[in-house]
Amino acid sequence: MFCSRCGDGFEPHEKIVNSNGELWHQQCFVCAQCFRAFPEGIFYEFEGRKYCEHDFHVLFAPCCGKCGEFVIGRVIKAMNSNWHPRCFRCEMCDKELADLGFIRNQGRALCHECNAKAKAVGLGKYPLRFRGEVYHGYHFNCTACGVELNSEAREVRSRPGFAANEMNELYCLRCHDKMGIPICGACRRPIEERVVTALGKHWHVEHFVCAKCEKPFLGHRHYEKKGLAYCETHYHQLFGNLCFVCNQVIAGDVFTALNKAWCVHHFACSVCDQKMNQKTKFYECDLKPVCKKCYDKFPNELRRRLRKAHEQTPKKATV
Amino acid sequence: MEQAPVSCIPNTKMLKAKKVIDEAKETQNPELDLADKGIASFEEMPGLFNMLNITRLTLSHNKIQVVPPGLANLINLEILNLFNNQIEELPTSLSSMPKLRILNVGMNRLDVLPRGFGAFPVLEVLDLTYNNLDESNLPGNFFMMETLRALYLGDNDFEFLPPEVGQLKNLQILVLRENDLVELPKEVGDLTRLRELHIQGNRLTVLPPEIGNLDLVSNKSVLKMENNPWVTPIADQLQVGVSHVMEYIRTETYRYVYSRHMSSERQPPPKTNDKSKKISRARQQS
Repeated sequence: MFCSRCGDGFEPHEKIVNSNGELWHQQCFVCAQCFRAFPEGIFYEFEGRKYCEHDFHVLFAPCCGKCGEFVIGRVIKAMNSNWHPRCFRCEMCDKELADLGFIRNQGRALCHECNAKAKAVGLGKYPLRFRGEVYHGYHFNCTACGVELNSEAREVRSRPGFAANEMNELYCLRCHDKMGIPICGACRRPIEERVVTALGKHWHVEHFVCAKCEKPFLGHRHYEKKGLAYCETHYHQLFGNLCFVCNQVIAGDVFTALNKAWCVHHFACSVCDQKMNQKTKFYECDLKPVCKKCYDKFPNELRRRLRKAHEQTPKKATV
Repeated sequence: MEQAPVSCIPNTKMLKAKKVIDEAKETQNPELDLADKGIASFEEMPGLFNMLNITRLTLSHNKIQVVPPGLANLINLEILNLFNNQIEELPTSLSSMPKLRILNVGMNRLDVLPRGFGAFPVLEVLDLTYNNLDESNLPGNFFMMETLRALYLGDNDFEFLPPEVGQLKNLQILVLRENDLVELPKEVGDLTRLRELHIQGNRLTVLPPEIGNLDLVSNKSVLKMENNPWVTPIADQLQVGVSHVMEYIRTETYRYVYSRHMSSERQPPPKTNDKSKKISRARQQS
């Protein structure tokens, strides 16, 4: 047993320091720079030597490019310097960039939004957006007619699956409109993904909505009325094809009479609840159907009144 | 010596109803048709209140006088039809039936509804046609039945309709045929979904201009207003059609006519409907 520093042995009752299997005299376990014991036993190891915290930082720790203090813990290496994460910020909006990523813009570190803004300012009021970046329009020509472009040019998404990357292309407004790209009837913008064709117009899937609740149909059935489209619920609510008995949308055949509608199997005498069909003769009382059997059970005085009222009603075209 | 249990109900009568009930139990049929079976009392239908599966119970054209509160045990009942019986009073318990959507108690002898009657949680159609009801015997919460879409009050004795009727936001059908109505509350104009209004055979002279808010002349709507002592301008319009009446009551001219009519001292027109022959007037022999 020998000390790792001085190579001497140990006295029988001497205190021995054991660090990772190596042994030391207590007076030999010291900082390689200042030869003093490690405060609170904390040391840093570099190339086989042990240093106290202070000397380690002086010798090896990077200095922050902003505040000049040592950077301990996470070091951001960027823009040819080292930084505390909290010191590396967007030079325009002061957002921390460590986890957001940054873009070098004329020697400045900027976040993506500020970079886009800075670029837009440089390009005048209406930059041309193309493949996620902004450009002067005059650097490009129309893919179809070759005319020099301005900010009015339209980016057309290539059909996915035809190219490994998105190979979008630029067209002048005239050529773009001639290409037959459908225009959404709601937002008046071109439709580059799925097109819904209904009511004689084209629509973005998410813009083809019920005229009442404005929820998109998303492929569900819609009902047309006077040039407007409605979802099932609102069509029936507004135009009255709910069954008088079950108050549900009528699936299948509708029985229409007396200003009301019924599911075929719910059409029944309102007095005795016996089912009736198209052929059953029935009377009307307060615009409810009454079968003959029940009508005959009505008191005479009521039948007389109903008959009289019936004779009085102007005989107009009854549907 | 043992004696057979004595029943005061004749056996043959008991059989008719019992047969239908037993059959329904056997087939698990959730719709029970007991119309015109000569039933005078629920005692003739033993075990009925245990048939918790039934969704419809039709008891029209019988001679039932008393509806026991236990009927509300039938928690799955959606349609209850008691048309043409001799019922004078209903139990409050009916109002707590959780699934009851359609209640028909037309052509009975009701001259009062129980307190709290308006508590039905999901009632959609209430038929009280041909009874002896008027505004003084409706319970306080009657117009709190927000789910109601049709209210049949024809052939009753209303002279005024409470303004609370405006709370029935879902009402599509309102029948007040052949009552004794002297005027309609302007709140009827709040019933935006109304598409059937029957006010024929009353004592109405004017309509509140608010009725003009309603769409009662489209091909999906009905307004019946004949046989009322209408003021001349309304009567004249009615000659040509209800659409002309609706158009007329929306005019400024009519607003003026209406306000002058309402502020004038006037006697309501006399009652003209003779109700002495109504079978709802018959009294039970007790």
